[in-house]
Amino acid sequence: MLRISGGRVYDPANGIQGEVKDICIADGRIVNDVQGAAVRTIPASGMVVFPGGVDVHTHVAGAALNFARGMTPENHRAAAKFIHSPLLRAGTGGITPTTFATGYLYAGMGYTTVNEAAVPILSARHTHEELRDTPIVDKSSCVLMANNEILLDLFEEGETERARDVLAWLIWAAKGYGVKAVNPGGVAAWKWGKDAKVLSDPVHGYGKVTPAIIIAQLAAIVDHLRLPHPLHIHCNNLGVPGNVSTTLETMRVLEGHRAHMAHLQFHAYGGDDWTTLRSEAAAVAEYFNAHPNLTADAGAILFGNSVTITADGPWQHLLYQLTGRKWGNLDVENETGCGIVPYVYKGSNVVNAVQWAVGLELLLLIDDPWRIFLTTDHPNGACFWRYPEVIHLLMDASFRRECLRKLPSRALKRIVLPDVDREYTLSEIATITSAGPARALGMPRKGHLGPGADADVTIYNESPDRGLMFRHPRYVLKGGEVVVEEGDIRKVVDGRELIVRPAYDENIEEYLRPLFEQYYTVAFENYPVEQERLEGADIRELG
Amino acid sequence: MGGKVTCTLGEVKNRADLIIYWGGNPADCHPLHFSRYTLNAKGKHVPQGRKGRTMVLVDVRETPSVRFSDIFLQVRPGKDFEVVTTLRALLKNRPVDEARVAETGLTLEQLQNLVDRMKNARFGVLFFGMGLTMTRGKHMNSAAVLTLVAELNAFTKFVSMPMRGHGNVTGADVVMRWTTGFPFGVNLSRGYPRFNPGEFSTIDVLVRGDNDAALILGADPGATMPQPAIDHLARIPTIVLDPKLTHTSRLARVHITTATTGISAPGTAYRMDEIPLPLKPILKSPYPTDEEVIRRIYEKVKVKPAWSPAAYAKVPCA
Amino acid sequence: MITLSLKEEPPVPLEAEALSPDVVATLRYDEICALPMFLGKRQCRVDDHFVVEGEASDELEIRGDAGRVKWIGRGMTRGRLRIVGNAGMHLGAYMKGGTIEVTGSAGDWAGAEMSGGLIRIGGNAGGQIGAAYRGSRTGMTDGTILIEGSAGLEVGMRMKRGTIAIKGSVKDFAGLEMKGGTLIVGGAELRTGAWMTRGTIVSLTRIPLLPTFAYSGTCNPTFLRLYARQLGTCGFSVPCDASAGAYLLYTGDTAVSDKGEILAWQPHAS
Ligand SMILES: [Zn+2]
Repeated sequence: MLRISGGRVYDPANGIQGEVKDICIADGRIVNDVQGAAVRTIPASGMVVFPGGVDVHTHVAGAALNFARGMTPENHRAAAKFIHSPLLRAGTGGITPTTFATGYLYAGMGYTTVNEAAVPILSARHTHEELRDTPIVDKSSCVLMANNEILLDLFEEGETERARDVLAWLIWAAKGYGVKAVNPGGVAAWKWGKDAKVLSDPVHGYGKVTPAIIIAQLAAIVDHLRLPHPLHIHCNNLGVPGNVSTTLETMRVLEGHRAHMAHLQFHAYGGDDWTTLRSEAAAVAEYFNAHPNLTADAGAILFGNSVTITADGPWQHLLYQLTGRKWGNLDVENETGCGIVPYVYKGSNVVNAVQWAVGLELLLLIDDPWRIFLTTDHPNGACFWRYPEVIHLLMDASFRRECLRKLPSRALKRIVLPDVDREYTLSEIATITSAGPARALGMPRKGHLGPGADADVTIYNESPDRGLMFRHPRYVLKGGEVVVEEGDIRKVVDGRELIVRPAYDENIEEYLRPLFEQYYTVAFENYPVEQERLEGADIRELG
Repeated sequence: MGGKVTCTLGEVKNRADLIIYWGGNPADCHPLHFSRYTLNAKGKHVPQGRKGRTMVLVDVRETPSVRFSDIFLQVRPGKDFEVVTTLRALLKNRPVDEARVAETGLTLEQLQNLVDRMKNARFGVLFFGMGLTMTRGKHMNSAAVLTLVAELNAFTKFVSMPMRGHGNVTGADVVMRWTTGFPFGVNLSRGYPRFNPGEFSTIDVLVRGDNDAALILGADPGATMPQPAIDHLARIPTIVLDPKLTHTSRLARVHITTATTGISAPGTAYRMDEIPLPLKPILKSPYPTDEEVIRRIYEKVKVKPAWSPAAYAKVPCA
Repeated sequence: MITLSLKEEPPVPLEAEALSPDVVATLRYDEICALPMFLGKRQCRVDDHFVVEGEASDELEIRGDAGRVKWIGRGMTRGRLRIVGNAGMHLGAYMKGGTIEVTGSAGDWAGAEMSGGLIRIGGNAGGQIGAAYRGSRTGMTDGTILIEGSAGLEVGMRMKRGTIAIKGSVKDFAGLEMKGGTLIVGGAELRTGAWMTRGTIVSLTRIPLLPTFAYSGTCNPTFLRLYARQLGTCGFSVPCDASAGAYLLYTGDTAVSDKGEILAWQPHAS
């Protein structure tokens, strides 16, 4: 049992904004009170107490990320080293940290739950093997569906109900948590070297199915199945100048449904080409503010090294041609694909400078912190362990202005950031890093400090240097155990996997089996991830 | 700088109309490959199977795979890199020296024809085998085909895939990447992973005699490695974990018999395209699994003091 | 001057990045003795393996067969490092300044990713001299490497600036993906200049070429006279007398560029 005493508590989900208050913990959960001699007290006066961070969109495990790891030995060589000790496993940090290092780095930053945002079903077993080797944090995952050809064929034939059973079966087969749509139809077209750029045009190889139909159908099915997390969508035309129109159209298609717009920064550009690229964050924010059915994450970029990893194959080929650097591409039969291109964002580059501004603009212009969350689309925009830098920029307008002064003047004319004075409060930071994403993910035990919540707590030394404050929490508790103290990992616990089991008609397997034998190269029996493999998973059955 | 453009085998089955095998003999070495995944498989977009596909074989000698191919290109031994580099130039309509092309055993016309076929394919795939990766040029030969294929994507859809040896080589590669960040040739002696093929790859370490002990798991270097490497294994304490007695067991100090993974021990195998397949044991074995043995060894090692200067003071340098 | 005499050849590689003028320049005798090294996985001290003499100097001499001692002079910026004997892998890797002289031979990766300074090797060298480490985009960006003997594979891989001169012959892939700088070799095996985009490779003898190099005539470039004069002072003779012969110029690698040059010396028929 444990008592965190005298800290200033920020628990936005329970309406607590900086009250000095004790947080009590028993059996890994938050409780009203603890008594007796066995209670350990963590004196926290002068400190700030947050619910543990929740990352709504990150890429930390699975075939695509692991592909990227293999492609970038030079990054690992330059990365932080994790030296083997009786407590810690060896590893490397950097842009694509190894699994163990990922757990240590997230926990070290006060994050205790992460959502792996792109899992192909065919290699989901691999993703789960990596997630099992990612310690401390709890983990959920989103399953890639918007280019699944069995689903697309059903949409083509108008078989909505069967599609619903197939989708539900697929989520359970992948032992996933949510549904991810990446460049709907575009990845399927990429299998022929094409893309899907217009939402109302049929997808290459199909007669009727359009990206808009895929988006609408998936959103409807996710709502119908009452999945805790809404459809998680990466819009078409990621990263392309002028893509704001596609993004707005996507949001219109989603009216009447819940949806989470992933890494919105990459989708809020105006202009006709790279030389005229400009921010359209204001237009996106305006629409978004008026549509409470939507949540989003920022996908902010920070200057420096990154490696872009996305299921958006066509975009990656374009980026390869633009950069002339390495390119990895992995198409997954009947389901999805992924592309990998190392990239360096430079402050002196006008396009990168605009991108940098767009991420911050969205975070500042979207007025409800419960609907926009801090992410960098790790490792695409920047590494997750650089989140404190974004927090610093959000909380400190003068620091922001200082950074703006270093940008090329041509970039300043294409952004609105210089006119934005908003500064985030601590309570708002707690919302965009924890309470909000937990709510959007539909995780009732995460992101807050009320009785019954998982005792995932982060305690900071209050400091006017917000970057420093958020980089080095004083304590981090996961499930009631002190895992980080004074910047060092003190204890390594296993994180759990969070999994959803939606209801479906069992007979759907008889429909799927022959399709499998025709189109896939693995036995139908070997496709679903065995439940026994996921020790200690938290499985939520949906009626 | 090139890269790696690949896919899972089902994509090949469903789409490929041009299939190139380079430096391999799939008919003998991967007997199910043609029927399951490539040449003869009926795919979603290649319903006619074999008739819908063209197969090109590039190799230094005639093998039983030749009779399956539509086009056989016999390249002179050790000239693969020259051929691939020439193809890269032709792809961009850049000049090449015809006489030096002819030294490869293939004519400029043959190579131009191949480039045209590649560009005009709807979906092309290049499988490359040990005839490419283990001959003069080694990793650069692989880099050459990977880069050629990446560049072909400016014209059409094209992918490549290595055909590796047997066993779960791919699985080892995949797990090494997520635990250390590197696929092979990793050294952990400084407490964190470092990567340098040539310096830390097994054969090089053994040939130079850089190690003073060896633990061999799921491999039989005593049968496959160069003699100096084998001699060194015999010189130092070598421990082998294997279900059967191998060549390496005979020269090892210790052999521990373990259960056969996949038959009596569960786990995951990664297919050549990195698709994870579950191994479901069908028999019980009286022997422990590899994992159990390693775990037990590790438990004993763990209680030893760490190699700090203090620990060193008590343990004289060998 | 500080001298370190190797007591005996280490049984497994000894990693000794502390053996650099920058590190020892300000250290007292006992501090030098206590510098850390790694024998395999075991951390040890300099005086476990070397007899130490002298202190506080940026002139460092290592005596004995240090062919298994890796990373000597790593990242050094100044001073003088002399090795009387052989040196192991990664000699002077990431070096920025100062000089290294080896009387014997050096292993692979000597001068890898160096950006300044001079490395002289009296014997042979291994592969990847002045190269980029695996995955890196750029090898040496400045400085000079002079080798009296021969060298191995991938010499000057991805080098961008600076000079490598090798009296003997090199193995395959010299100047692989070279981006600039000058590589002078006595001769070479196969695939010299493969995928080079810029830079100059000079061979003192005719060498086999890839099909992707185009013959562009003969020449006696003036820049080479400058090099010849400079290298001449170091005992390297580079022919540039038009009356004695001419260089055959090839450009490529056409698979990636036409801005790389290979010059091969051809004496006039006498
Ligand atoms: Zn993402």
